Amino acid sequence: MVTSSSSWARALLQISPYTFSAIGIAISIGVSVLGAACLIGAAIKAPRITSKNLISVIFCEAVAIYGVIVAIILQTKLDSVPQSKIYDPVSLRAGYAIFASEIIVGFANLVCGLCVGIIGSSCALSDAQNSTLFVKILVIEIFGSALGLFGVIVGIIISAQATWPMK
Amino acid sequence: MEVMSKFLIASILMWTVPIAVLYGFNNNLFPGSASVSQESLTLWSGILAVISVNVVIVLYIISAMKEPSSDKHEPDPRFLADAKASIKQQPGTTEVDSSSDRAKLE
Repeated sequence: MVTSSSSWARALLQISPYTFSAIGIAISIGVSVLGAACLIGAAIKAPRITSKNLISVIFCEAVAIYGVIVAIILQTKLDSVPQSKIYDPVSLRAGYAIFASEIIVGFANLVCGLCVGIIGSSCALSDAQNSTLFVKILVIEIFGSALGLFGVIVGIIISAQATWPMK
Repeated sequence: MEVMSKFLIASILMWTVPIAVLYGFNNNLFPGSASVSQESLTLWSGILAVISVNVVIVLYIISAMKEPSSDKHEPDPRFLADAKASIKQQPGTTEVDSSSDRAKLE
């Protein structure tokens, strides 16, 4: 069967926006947990574990929490729409907005988790050498964890406008 | 262990507080949450949840910095024993090295 015109634009229009939303919710939490797990164990090389060494682990965990928060917020945005209006432009826009917000949050949390993990491992090693270096490297780590925060803020703002059409 | 229990309490708080804030906002459990529109509801609930996570992190950092740092660093006993054993071996090898150096000089 030959269709008259098959192009990417037509294919994208035929995919239900719910597909994008559901895939996106999974991506946001999956990728951000992946980012949190990277290098989370690198802080425990020094034999004396004090609470200071576990601060970088807490930062990594906060990255995963951001992914969970955004996933919960976005799943409350999925309303059901009557059959006739699934491919309405407004509902397509809502689907794409949710998908975009999740990709933003997922990948921002991935790189933030990598960054905080690397900084945290060097923080623990330098603290074992010289205790005065700890606070300075902690300040750098706080800036690193702000990356994930930016992604979450932008993702929440984008998804706040995703309203499905009224019945 | 006190360190582990503080860490576990902080972790559990980090998980439950933002999710509780989210559900409280969506189900109108907070005093001011019934009068906002649908769109800004997500904004407010998201921002408050993120702020609550950061507050828990800051509290954990403050309590970690207040822990008394042990000034006398006790070295690992096994490492110390290995180091002492290698020092005892050393005088035998240095005698051999210095005699070979003297041989080269001549």
